Amino acid sequence: MKTLKGALFPVAVLLLWEIGMRASGIQSDSLAPPSQIAVAFYEALFDGTVLDRTAQTLFVVICGLGIGGGLALVFSVLMGLVPAFARLMQFSIEVLRPVPPVALIPVAMLIFGFGFPMEITLCAFACFWPVAIYGHAAIANIEPQLLDVSRVLRLSPVARVFKIVLPAALPRYFVGFRLSAAVSLIIAVTVEITINPLGVGFELMKASQSLHPDRMFAMLLWIGVIGGGLNWALLFAQRRLFGRAGLAAAR
Amino acid sequence: MSGLERSLWYLGSIAVTALLVGLWQFVADHGGIPPVFLPGPDKAWDALMSGLASGPIAKVTLATLRRMIYGWVLASLAGVALGALIGSSRQARDYLGPTLEMIRPVPVSAFMPIVIAFLGLSGDMVLVVIALGAIWPVLLATVHGVSAVEPRLVELSRMLKLGRLAMLWKIALPNAQPDILAGARLGLTVSLVLTVVGEMLTSQNGLGYYVLLEGRAFHSANLFAGVILLGAIGLVSNLALQAAEARLLRWSRR
Amino acid sequence: MRGEAICRDHVSARLLAPFAPLVLMTGAAVAAEALIEFRQVSHRFGARPVLSDINLAVRPSEFVCMVGPSGCGKTTMLRMVAGLLRPEHGSVFYSGAPVTEPAHAVAFMFQDYSKALLPWRNAAGNVALALEASGVPRAARQPRIATLLEKVGLGGHAEQFPIQLSGGMQQRLQIARCLAQEPAVLLMDEPFGALDAMTRQSLQDELLRIIQASRTTALFVTHDLEEAIYLGDRVVALHPNPGRIAQIFEVTLPRPRNQLETREDPEFIRLRHEIFHFISAGAA
Repeated sequence: MKTLKGALFPVAVLLLWEIGMRASGIQSDSLAPPSQIAVAFYEALFDGTVLDRTAQTLFVVICGLGIGGGLALVFSVLMGLVPAFARLMQFSIEVLRPVPPVALIPVAMLIFGFGFPMEITLCAFACFWPVAIYGHAAIANIEPQLLDVSRVLRLSPVARVFKIVLPAALPRYFVGFRLSAAVSLIIAVTVEITINPLGVGFELMKASQSLHPDRMFAMLLWIGVIGGGLNWALLFAQRRLFGRAGLAAAR
Repeated sequence: MSGLERSLWYLGSIAVTALLVGLWQFVADHGGIPPVFLPGPDKAWDALMSGLASGPIAKVTLATLRRMIYGWVLASLAGVALGALIGSSRQARDYLGPTLEMIRPVPVSAFMPIVIAFLGLSGDMVLVVIALGAIWPVLLATVHGVSAVEPRLVELSRMLKLGRLAMLWKIALPNAQPDILAGARLGLTVSLVLTVVGEMLTSQNGLGYYVLLEGRAFHSANLFAGVILLGAIGLVSNLALQAAEARLLRWSRR
Repeated sequence: MRGEAICRDHVSARLLAPFAPLVLMTGAAVAAEALIEFRQVSHRFGARPVLSDINLAVRPSEFVCMVGPSGCGKTTMLRMVAGLLRPEHGSVFYSGAPVTEPAHAVAFMFQDYSKALLPWRNAAGNVALALEASGVPRAARQPRIATLLEKVGLGGHAEQFPIQLSGGMQQRLQIARCLAQEPAVLLMDEPFGALDAMTRQSLQDELLRIIQASRTTALFVTHDLEEAIYLGDRVVALHPNPGRIAQIFEVTLPRPRNQLETREDPEFIRLRHEIFHFISAGAA
């Protein structure tokens, strides 16, 4: 019953939109009836270029996540295990963190020009922070007894990190990664819309500027699907990897 | 850890930052990277100072600030009003909730080309996009805060026979204050990002367009100056809101 | 019918037997004067019966305590008088009319006081809420708030927020807010249950002092048998599963009550024994 209620509003809007446009016969450069958008959506799916673009954007997102997240992993482990390091880095973090990644677009452009490296760098910068912060919190809050266990077992520092610290902090790290993935997608799409001629954002902008509203809305829908799909996939992975215990630890 | 120890560590971290800036200077002077790509901090600072004093940086910064704050204030007010309406009505939540949840994962900047299609490349368009983007965190936070009132307080309002409006204004909204303030803080971040992107896209007068132009013209010192300013805006606005939050929410800590 | 109810009270029957005709007459008088009345009230939550055939009349200015183990429906009864809940069968009457919604003259004191106070308003602000709800003009509020806070002993704490107040102080603040409604009836749901013994005793006395002064009718729910006897004019003992009135005891101890003397009074001890056994027997 509740799902029916929830579906009522969007369905009603779509119906009104469709009927309104068809009945009045308006031809618009900025608006298209939902049926037309649906057609454009399906065409776009089976059209090679959109899949190509999607692959491009996803490539950027994953690389950015890998580089930024990977660096953040190392950084946060250091911060967590060496509190002095965390304290000494505090000011630098406070100064660097509020810089909006979009402000760095011209810098990245200057150094790399158009293309993949520039976008990946920006995504990496944005992905760094959620993982670093969540990771640091995860490690700082590890059950002290686990660290005692590692001391009793006389584990080497490297073994301690890999056998005890990382596994214990992993659920929280994953939450940070999920957040970073969302951020990475947002930054990638934003950079593509703003300036970089690749990916789904660029396709969206192209449709808007070439006055193809049906394709434009279809791309918007597609981007929403990618965002939702990415989030869903990661949530699924989180549940699979960590189960209920992991979800609890990830709070 | 005592307050003194904490302050000393903080000073130490500032020293580390100064060290990193020094490293930056060293690399810029001796590292073999052309200054066009990596200007030294001294050059960036000079560009910043002279730009603020006589150049266009001050004007564009003000333009950006104005846009960012207008959009944010508009969005926050609308977000609270709408959120209060939706959050206080179980029916509204049932009907509209899923729609809100569906729109949430879409990156806000993706709406920009849509709005451009309607409003063209203009200052109005940027303001509309900023407002549309910044409204989400506030709206969602308000809906959450208003709908999650302590049951005792709901019963209290029934006992005192408070009307629906009085209940909303005196109990539900103040109850949502912490959520709303957190949402507003997030909204301000979104607002800054959308302002910069909007200016870049529409070539509107502002820091966003300024750094884009300076980058294209390979005026890297000016570019860095602009980026530093944007970071400063982000930092200061966040700190200001945090301070306001602490003041407004002082009833929640001992 | 009322006279029967009174005669069913073994205690009162024994004490008042010589005056039986008088009792019957008083019984009829009670029916006419009852401020609050439960008539054949029954209720269930889902499939679980919670109250069964409750009949009770509360006179004006009377202090009635309700005791019983968990599950005997005492809080439910209180909420019905408050108008927060409608009984499935039977009716609750206030001032001769059936209760359909909360009344301005009825104030409710919640057990979890910290959740019933507005954390974002200071003490004065919390009291003000009741005055705002009653439509008291802004200018008139200040002096009344000051008086009320003085009355409950929070005179110097008007600017403090609930989080800065101790448990006992928060509960006193709640009392102040209830009094701001100038209630004819004060409903209290185990108000002192979460407080330490010393605070509880001092609040008991303060409550009695305030209520005697304003002649408010009080319905007080508690687990604590001694507290019920100490505070009340009558003690209603309830048996659980489903909740039903097992026995109503008259408390004829002199007023004003005193923590030491009253609790050592032979009548107090006798009542305590009797009600204790009664409740234990019912719970078995």
